[in-house]
Amino acid sequence: MMLLSVFAGVMILSSLGVLLSKDNFYSALFMTLTLVMVATVYAFFDIQPVFVLIVFIFVGAIGIVTVALAATYRAMPERQFSWLGCILVAITAAVLSYFTFAGGRYQDMGKQVVFSLSEFIKSSEYQLLVVFLTALVLLLYLSVIRLYRGEES
Amino acid sequence: MLEPNAMTVTIIYLSAFAILLVGFLTAISSKDLIRLLIALELMFGAVFMSLIPVFVLAANPAFGTSIIAIFTSAGELLVLIAAVIIRDRRNKNVLIEQITIGGDRV
Repeated sequence: MMLLSVFAGVMILSSLGVLLSKDNFYSALFMTLTLVMVATVYAFFDIQPVFVLIVFIFVGAIGIVTVALAATYRAMPERQFSWLGCILVAITAAVLSYFTFAGGRYQDMGKQVVFSLSEFIKSSEYQLLVVFLTALVLLLYLSVIRLYRGEES
Repeated sequence: MLEPNAMTVTIIYLSAFAILLVGFLTAISSKDLIRLLIALELMFGAVFMSLIPVFVLAANPAFGTSIIAIFTSAGELLVLIAAVIIRDRRNKNVLIEQITIGGDRV
């Protein structure tokens, strides 16, 4: 419990680092740290497949490309903070807090996370899901390549 | 391994909301497309975080949802990265204020 609180604290502080950092490069690094912490919480609950997916795909691929892009466009470091946006966020936070926590609906679940990747893969509907998803991702990548080539020509 | 209880679920949701709202504020405040991309990734992180309690109730559907969320959000961010690069090639900048005065001509 204490360790989870520490992880959550580091997560929130690093996300605040994204907001308050002037340089895009440091913001991207803080964002990567936040996502690694999110993945670590999954590992905490013994859900390693999602930990691997987040760390490899989200942090390893997309996150690193974002860091590289941010390192390329790091000119003009200036604070990007909107006070008007801050008011909007405060209102949203108040509404979320009221409807989520005011009722005190969270009760002890009384059971552990029981997840087995082999059981998941055995199920035919989930196999179909993975096939459809792979097709979707391939189509998406092809459309990106086409977009990029069309721009070049 | 940690056992989910009311306290841990509250911590998870609180941190997910905090990350989501910081991402939202970063997106509103951003002046360039790179910062907007970073804000979107942060908000997706909050979505992944909020999926953890669902694993207690139904692990397999939650894992299916996680796979869909991770792959589609990664694809979406990839398209945005491609758009940022194309935008920079055309206009030689990635500022958001330049986009708000643009648009299609009929």
